[in-house]
Amino acid sequence: MKKLTALLLAAALCFAALAGCSQPTSQGSDAPSSKPTQGANPTEVLKDPVTVTVWHDGDEGIMQTITDQVNAQLADDQITVVFEKKTDTPNQLKLYGSDAANAPDMYFYAHDVLGTFVAMDILAPLSDVVDSSILADHLAMTVEAGQIGGTQYLLPVYFETLVFLYNKALWEGDIPGTTEELYDYMAAHTDAAAGTYAVVNQHTNAYNVSPFINGFGGYVIDENGKPGLNDPKTIEAATYNQKFGALQADGDYNTVTTLFNEGKAAAIIGGPWLVSGIEAAGIDYGIASLSDIKLPNGNGLAPFSGIQGAGVLKVALAEKKDAIAKVLTAMAAPEVGVDLANKSGCAPANNKSYDDPQVAGNEMIAVIQKTASTARPMPNIPEMNAMWGPAEAMLTAINKNGADPAQAADEAQAAAEQAIADMK
Amino acid sequence: MEQKRRWKPWFYCLPALLLILTVIVFPIAYTGWISLTNMNLYHWTDYEVIGFGNYARALFKFDSGFLSALATTLVWTALNMVIQIGLGFLIALGLNAPGLRLKRVYKTLLMVPWAVPAYISILLWRVGMFNTEFGILNKLLSVLGFAKVDFLAGNGIAFLSCMALNLWMALPFMISTIDGALQSVDGSLYESATLDGAGFWRRTWSITVPAIRPIIAPAAVMTTFITFKQFDIIYLLTQQRGYMTGATLNTVITYAHQNAFASNNYGLSSAVSMLLFVIIILFSILTNRSLRED
Repeated sequence: MKKLTALLLAAALCFAALAGCSQPTSQGSDAPSSKPTQGANPTEVLKDPVTVTVWHDGDEGIMQTITDQVNAQLADDQITVVFEKKTDTPNQLKLYGSDAANAPDMYFYAHDVLGTFVAMDILAPLSDVVDSSILADHLAMTVEAGQIGGTQYLLPVYFETLVFLYNKALWEGDIPGTTEELYDYMAAHTDAAAGTYAVVNQHTNAYNVSPFINGFGGYVIDENGKPGLNDPKTIEAATYNQKFGALQADGDYNTVTTLFNEGKAAAIIGGPWLVSGIEAAGIDYGIASLSDIKLPNGNGLAPFSGIQGAGVLKVALAEKKDAIAKVLTAMAAPEVGVDLANKSGCAPANNKSYDDPQVAGNEMIAVIQKTASTARPMPNIPEMNAMWGPAEAMLTAINKNGADPAQAADEAQAAAEQAIADMK
Repeated sequence: MEQKRRWKPWFYCLPALLLILTVIVFPIAYTGWISLTNMNLYHWTDYEVIGFGNYARALFKFDSGFLSALATTLVWTALNMVIQIGLGFLIALGLNAPGLRLKRVYKTLLMVPWAVPAYISILLWRVGMFNTEFGILNKLLSVLGFAKVDFLAGNGIAFLSCMALNLWMALPFMISTIDGALQSVDGSLYESATLDGAGFWRRTWSITVPAIRPIIAPAAVMTTFITFKQFDIIYLLTQQRGYMTGATLNTVITYAHQNAFASNNYGLSSAVSMLLFVIIILFSILTNRSLRED
């Protein structure tokens, strides 16, 4: 009897261990069925409900705003959009993007990873799904950021860039018009030993130092995939930024945001994503455009801009092409942009959204729009993915360890070139 | 009948073998297979076998930077192990001191670092301990009138900071192992030695150490491997994207990660992984041999 029990248990364990390897059945699938609904009028074919899944790694409130708007528009079509938060969405899509059983139907993310997904051949061009006229009213900068090789892969929904946020209770006087005046203000109002700062910034992050790099005419990587970390203009920018970094505390995200939210820093260079935390901290804040602060060469600070939008997974087209087309059309509507602007302070990609008086009067959006005149969309080629690490290593060496900018730039350039060569 | 008897044990072991095959053997074999292909960003699904080309490229990753990382890893492993075993032994001895009250409370408290997930511990130390603005250490230095110190910026100080955290996380395991081993030593040996006039250190050196050595040896070997292939502490404290501190400290694993895993070239990074796997296996054979000789 004991032997029999042992044998049965061993067999059960083997069965259980392999149970997960079974193929999924059609039960519970979101795929639309062609069967007519029982009891319905035989002459009237009812539409089956379709769920379109979108993976994202962003703010839940923003995604909820989009969900509510799109679902309200598509209620009659029985189409429901569901946003699922996936931490590190790009890596999740690398794992599941070509797997029909596990991939989402769409994703929502910044445009800088677009080239990576296109190189992986997991995205469908928007023209395969929907007419390009849905982009007719969109800002040109946002449309171009969603293209790879002239093909549109991303539907831009809103865009963001860096702005100058300051605590009205702590900042004395006007916001300086030049970086030199800003530096003088920082030098006079920073007491690192006491832990109080005039301006904080993530000075080791290439995105946050981009206002200087782009403003000096430097670049992180060009459109041909050539890294520009040791370009003389980039080195000039990094060298100039060094003295600011010395007065900006440790450059990591948590430190600088906490310093600002706790009233230990009078200003922070950041984006609209900081606003909810700042408001929760009860800070009366003001916003200024970085493009209004001029570098010694006369150019305004020129940050990177990020365009947030939706892409379509190739594997989803077989069963949900029509539903996805309707979702894209609904997402492109100006009403989505209006809601996003009013509820979350996002700058809409659809130009018509700005006709709304509330949007036009939104301070954050006005500043982002103004900064967009000098902002540069982040590069979206696949090689950009390999640039963040070397660029950060270079800025860390310069701003934290006092390394010689030219030498740090040469080392980072070599690392970037090697990383790009390793991609193939 | 004989045939049946021969196969029956294998059948009983089948679930465990299947598990080992799925969890351990398959990933290694699959990595080996991928290392022979051109699987990368541009051949994500349409990859094909290209032979040993990735290994030729991977060998270039084992350059002077790798040798420096290997030296750091050996120093890191040796220092951590010596301190872990030495300090673990002393703390365990202290916990077994006759007349010590609330022993169980101390033992439970000492287990806390081990119970906290490594990722959480590392983030807590990065912000709560080492941060220049909010870390306890800098708060203490400020109170004492000293300037702030960036504990993770330079290689030397970052090495010591990483080691302090590693010891905090790893000591509970060593202490509990040694504490368990100490319970197994026959008390009468100490009584005889005391009657013969042996003092505390003499008893410890001549009775305790030889008695517990066979028991703690496997734990020491296991911890040596874990310390050798340490990745998360050094990576999360000094190299994580968005939180780089300026230290260029590398162990073999962080070096390989930095040089081969940032490019999404799975073929190449699999080849580097397989070569690292061989290095760690060689290290394990050497350590096991020395253990047997011991």
